[in-house]
Amino acid sequence: MSAEPSHAITDLIPAPRPCAGLRNAAVILVIVGGLLSVAALISDVHRARFGFAYLWAFSFVWAVALGALFFVGLQHLVHAVWSVAVRRIAEMFAGLIWLVAILFVPLLLYCIYNDRFGLYPWLDANKVAHDSLLSGKKAYLNLPFFTVRAVVFFALWIAFAAYFTGGSLKQDAGRGGVEVSLRMRRTAAPFMMLFAVTATFASIDWLMSLEPLWFSTIFGVYVFSGMVVTSLSIISIATVWLRSSGRLGRGIVGDGHLYNLGVLLFGFVCFWAYIAFSQYMLIWYGNIPEESFYLIRRLDGGWLVLSIALALVRFVIPFLALLSRPAKINATRLVWVSVLLLLGQFLDLYWLIMPQIHHDQPVVGWPEFGPPLLMLGALALYISHFLKRYLPLAVGDPLPEMPVFLLPHRFVRLSLEPSYTEAFESLARRFRHVLEN
Amino acid sequence: MSRPTENTVGMVGLFDDPDALIRAAERVRDEGFTRWDCHTPFPVHGLDRAMGLKSSPVPTLALAAGFVGLLTAVALTGGLNVIDYPIRIAGKPIFSWQAFVPIYFELFVLFAALTLMASLFLFCGLGRWHSPLHDSDIMKHVTGHRFAIVLEATDRCYSEQNVRALLEETGCRDVRPLVEFEEEDSGIL
Repeated sequence: MSAEPSHAITDLIPAPRPCAGLRNAAVILVIVGGLLSVAALISDVHRARFGFAYLWAFSFVWAVALGALFFVGLQHLVHAVWSVAVRRIAEMFAGLIWLVAILFVPLLLYCIYNDRFGLYPWLDANKVAHDSLLSGKKAYLNLPFFTVRAVVFFALWIAFAAYFTGGSLKQDAGRGGVEVSLRMRRTAAPFMMLFAVTATFASIDWLMSLEPLWFSTIFGVYVFSGMVVTSLSIISIATVWLRSSGRLGRGIVGDGHLYNLGVLLFGFVCFWAYIAFSQYMLIWYGNIPEESFYLIRRLDGGWLVLSIALALVRFVIPFLALLSRPAKINATRLVWVSVLLLLGQFLDLYWLIMPQIHHDQPVVGWPEFGPPLLMLGALALYISHFLKRYLPLAVGDPLPEMPVFLLPHRFVRLSLEPSYTEAFESLARRFRHVLEN
Repeated sequence: MSRPTENTVGMVGLFDDPDALIRAAERVRDEGFTRWDCHTPFPVHGLDRAMGLKSSPVPTLALAAGFVGLLTAVALTGGLNVIDYPIRIAGKPIFSWQAFVPIYFELFVLFAALTLMASLFLFCGLGRWHSPLHDSDIMKHVTGHRFAIVLEATDRCYSEQNVRALLEETGCRDVRPLVEFEEEDSGIL
């Protein structure tokens, strides 16, 4: 590697500064959302609708934060070099997870006061007692165990977010060099395994148990695929915004990075469609009442329109819009497809959650708007706070010179022989052994 | 065996860094050369633009072939299951598109992939047994640590002095003629 890694890059990027516009918008969103939420919460008619809307909005920010944490872990796991230039943006969203944990507390309260909210049917002791299937699931679906699981999930996610984001910020401050990067790469593998388990069980707990008699073994993967699409969308939007506002400096985040984000987004859009269709086709084929009632409700009456819209917004339109190579480099198109996909995530979560309260058709009114506005406001507030204090680029990572390498006329002058040797040296010993023989 | 004759078929400029290669490629492009290529040990970003490469027809071809595959699959499943040999399975409608989606997908991918492979052979000129580059040690350099521009003598802008001067102007300190050894009785049959 070049001798002095971070000097050139810190000269290219401006110091963090407050973003007043975003903060003001965030404050307005929080106030409006908060007022609407309180109004729905105190009215007896709308309280149940509010509870579901809260879960809806909560799942959205949860997907943003956890998806971003997955992105960061993935980049470390595969030793990605290109993504160093955008990894801090993902780290920023991953750092949101503690706020998601705080937002989970009201959800627990709704569960405790279930007689007024009626969120999860398995919390209704009367119902459980009269339903042999539900009482059979009592060992798993009970409030104390539900709470313990949630605490464990959040403890793990917060620990990993603090580890990855904190480590990267520490590098910025000059504490920790290449060994911190290498340690994060090693930690990424156990993180991935824990992530897979916790994300699956969290989606079963919070979303699938809304219909406690229904089960789908692919459900965790379904929620995960939507989560990754969501985090990639929001990372793309933030990247384009930070680049055009000059906060990322000039010429560091280039078309190549947008292209790679676009490719990942395109890939996971297809992955979501694949998983969603797999779930649908197997249930359709089996045609067993205990599985199919979930889909029948969603393909009937007013919900059919939403199901078709979901397929269009989450797959058909983004697929066609991102298919060609120039489309993935086109920042404007990447942003509007990302915005569409974020709407798609709201739609998808609505499709998963709301049929439990609005059986016949989708209903949207002011009680549904409070929590999403409140939480988007909290998200924006967090972002503006983060950007005021930290750089949106991981300048302390010894690798950020590499993205500059990707631009014509702007690359790090390093001789290839030593870097090949270094790459070879950094291989795991057992692989090196194989190569040497 | 008869003695091979030497034929100069082009000129090679070797560079030590990708920056110089890109600058040289831009010059060569602007001079109007058409029969030339660059060889590098790793993908050099921005080289396609510096060389003035146009976007390839391969993606469009693959997409078109994919849709042909999709139509084939629709015709295949529909024709067999609805017209030729209708069987009602599990009480489902005779034409159950849900069950056929995997086939639509597979044939889309199959047609697109085969077209990609065929067009790779076509557009990259694969299936050629030999290139004069293999006789020279250029390939050893460009798979190690150096970067090369190769200009073919068949280009209408080509003349030996011209090309040598052009490459040296762009800062190339290692210009070599590319030589093909041709055996006089090279007929295969």
